[in-house]
Amino acid sequence: MIGGADIINTIYIGLVYTVMAIPLTLSYKATGIINFPHINFITYGAYTAILLHDILGVNNVFIAALAAFLVGGVISVINNLSVFQPMLRRKTNLWIIMIASMGLWIFYKYLLYSVLDVLSKIYRINFISRLIRFSTLPTFQVGGLELSSAFSTTLIMSAILLFGLYLFLERTTAGKAIGAISDNPVLAEISGIPKDKVINIMWFVVGGMTAVGGLMWVIFSIATPEIGDWLILVIFAIAVIGGLHSLTLTALGAFIIAAAENIGLLYLNQAFGVPTSYKPFISFLTLLIVIIVWPPKGAGGGLPYRFLTKRKSFRGENK
Amino acid sequence: MIGFNVLGFLISWATFLGIYSILSISLNLEVGFTGIVNFGKVAFYAIGAYIAATVSTYTILMLYNIRAAPYTTEGIIALGKYEYLNPFLDAGLFLLAIVLGFAISGIVGYLLTYPVLRVGPEFVGMTLLAFGELLRIFFQNYQPAGGSKGLMSIPHPLGWLRTPLIKDGLYTLIVLGFLVLIYLYSQKLVNSPFGRLLKAVRDDEVAALCLGKHVPRVKATILFISSGFAGIAGVLMAFYLSAINPNMFMAVVTFNIWGMVILGGMANNLGAIVGAAILTFIDRALTFVTPNLGITIITPDYIRWMSIGLLITLVLLFWPRGMVPEKPVETPPLKLIKKRGDRNEHNA
Repeated sequence: MIGGADIINTIYIGLVYTVMAIPLTLSYKATGIINFPHINFITYGAYTAILLHDILGVNNVFIAALAAFLVGGVISVINNLSVFQPMLRRKTNLWIIMIASMGLWIFYKYLLYSVLDVLSKIYRINFISRLIRFSTLPTFQVGGLELSSAFSTTLIMSAILLFGLYLFLERTTAGKAIGAISDNPVLAEISGIPKDKVINIMWFVVGGMTAVGGLMWVIFSIATPEIGDWLILVIFAIAVIGGLHSLTLTALGAFIIAAAENIGLLYLNQAFGVPTSYKPFISFLTLLIVIIVWPPKGAGGGLPYRFLTKRKSFRGENK
Repeated sequence: MIGFNVLGFLISWATFLGIYSILSISLNLEVGFTGIVNFGKVAFYAIGAYIAATVSTYTILMLYNIRAAPYTTEGIIALGKYEYLNPFLDAGLFLLAIVLGFAISGIVGYLLTYPVLRVGPEFVGMTLLAFGELLRIFFQNYQPAGGSKGLMSIPHPLGWLRTPLIKDGLYTLIVLGFLVLIYLYSQKLVNSPFGRLLKAVRDDEVAALCLGKHVPRVKATILFISSGFAGIAGVLMAFYLSAINPNMFMAVVTFNIWGMVILGGMANNLGAIVGAAILTFIDRALTFVTPNLGITIITPDYIRWMSIGLLITLVLLFWPRGMVPEKPVETPPLKLIKKRGDRNEHNA
């Protein structure tokens, strides 16, 4: 049966997915680039926490989160300055930039592997698959029920991040400028918005927030350099549910997918005996269904074929 | 360092070169000529390999009346006993696998056109990437295809030749033969009017549509052809390695092929082969050198993948045309102009 634990789990995973997926939508909206190093932000955030915990002995999860934010943000800005900005200036096709970003993904992933390889040999700890426990995690009680420390930490952190992002986008000049650039880059530039600077700030926030998402993942789960790759399908599916346009819909998508993965799969398992190892299929199915039934609007959409309800008009034309 | 076998190295390099060139040519048809961003190339390669493995092993077990599945120990022992008794059967299974691999991969590619058409170029990549990963997870959990251990002792079509050197040498020739056929076909295809239509679709889909061209059909055709070719490459690889498992079909394989296409130069079949030659040479050389290095600080594989990722990015940043840049389509008038140019130079 579906119990309270499953519902708590859904909220929990949903929050982590929200923190990871909203930055993807934000960066796609502002630049039009599908950012594959998003995967690396997750793993680098996770490993910042692990390395701080194991090597420097940092036990405060909030200090680790701050460090993860900085690491993710700096990598993100470096990517933008060295690869995306020069290519955008040359007016390269967006899908070619996407391939370059894919190259970056592979590079960062195996760079992390190499660094961990060296560190594992120095410190004699198996960093390639590591489970850590922060000893000082905040906990609090709701209505007499004590929430687990990992859940409370996730709750606090995602609340700070999401509320902070809301304030940043709605109340600060830089945030409003990001909105303006997303809506109409040319008009924004004509109005005197320093586009390059604003986009850099945007990348910093995107990288940092995703890295904290990765940290939130390792609080309760094992970390390997592959976690980003495991999560990427889910996160892309969530971003597509949000149409890569609306941040609110993205957050909703995160909870839909989390519910489908936790409660939906449990139901399928009990009712039809579907093995739980088929979990990744759920996000893929969602992705396909959304793409077929309700394709993402804006630049994400394909040719006007999808506006034609009858393909017959094409065939008639060709005769 | 004494154990370095030059002839063995050359044969294995030539085989890998052949198989990966087929893959990079087929990816180039999609990416370079038509502009379909295919991040799921490995899926079609995997389909081909799995078809080869299942068709050949199950058929042999069925013909010799053995009631064991090919992934069990009894099945593997039985396969080892019976697989090379009849050379004609092995050759027939090889041909059957090639035909089925081409057809089934092609049909899957054709069916994927539906989601591909509905989203923009950036999402095509993501959808196909997801498809490839999912297919791998499916094979990992699907017991009749061997589950996570995969299938072993796939009968080599030339297995009755007991000398490994002759067997592998002849097989390399077969692979290179397929490469030549596919290269000539692709060269013919891209220099035909249809090839020009492909480039039109790549450069401006809406314009091609407005000129009355049936863009969906063009994309479906090219996805069918190139997925079929990838299937053939998978079949060749399965028979060469004689064992497959789901971990061979990770997403990085796709990016390796992308690296070849980008390094060699997009929209050029020769470039695809050049890129494949360079990257497979590095790959094979590392495989032959690594056992002699002993324990290293960093696993050489990580360095290799890291450099491939960096290579893709750097080539796109500083050298977007690649090693063999795109050439104009060879139409009859162009050939005529070239001929005249040569004559004029001769006169002067």
